[in-house]
Amino acid sequence: MNERLANRLKERRGELGLTQSQLAEMCLVSRKTINTVENGIFVPSTVLALKLAQALDLSVEQLFWIER
Amino acid sequence: MSYRERPDFDRPTAESIERSRRSMGWVIPLVVVQQGFTIFRHGADLASQLLGIFAWATVSLTILWMLFGLPLRWLPKRDQAILNDEWHKSVSGDAGRWGIAALTVIGCAMMIARIWVPIDAGLAIYGLVNGALIVAVGRYTWLNRGEPDEGE
Repeated sequence: MNERLANRLKERRGELGLTQSQLAEMCLVSRKTINTVENGIFVPSTVLALKLAQALDLSVEQLFWIER
Repeated sequence: MSYRERPDFDRPTAESIERSRRSMGWVIPLVVVQQGFTIFRHGADLASQLLGIFAWATVSLTILWMLFGLPLRWLPKRDQAILNDEWHKSVSGDAGRWGIAALTVIGCAMMIARIWVPIDAGLAIYGLVNGALIVAVGRYTWLNRGEPDEGE
């Protein structure tokens, strides 16, 4: 089964007018981490997913979902 | 006109260290190769050997720092967190796996090669260690290449 973690990080970031750098700063990670999560290259840990959801004012389920 | 205060100007940041990690990756394996010859060169005098060992230790520690993101105690917590974030740990882990794989393959190749060619012990250690290091650092640099644009 081919599953991948999809997200609406970029879309939500755009809605809030945040840059990758600003979001990275809020979550205390590098911009590369934000970039790779956004592009589906890197699957974040639960802790980081929670931090991202908190920073973007969404629930984790609203931000990430599994795409089949 | 505004100037940055000197303490700020001198202090490394997570961003500047990330840039260094990216740009240094390709150079370090070459330095390892160069310094390795000094250590294992037959008939090298004591001063050359000490210099070689110093250079070797410096380069090795730099590589370990690059691969494992050893905590940089003089940096603020924020910079430490960024330098050891999940992406860097993931990249280091992957590079480490490649290094171990290279160690296994090179070791096996040397054992087979010994049937036909006598291999000096020093040369074998040199080849084994540096082969693995070069593969690990190369992989690390490849995965960590290029600062992406904001829109990418």
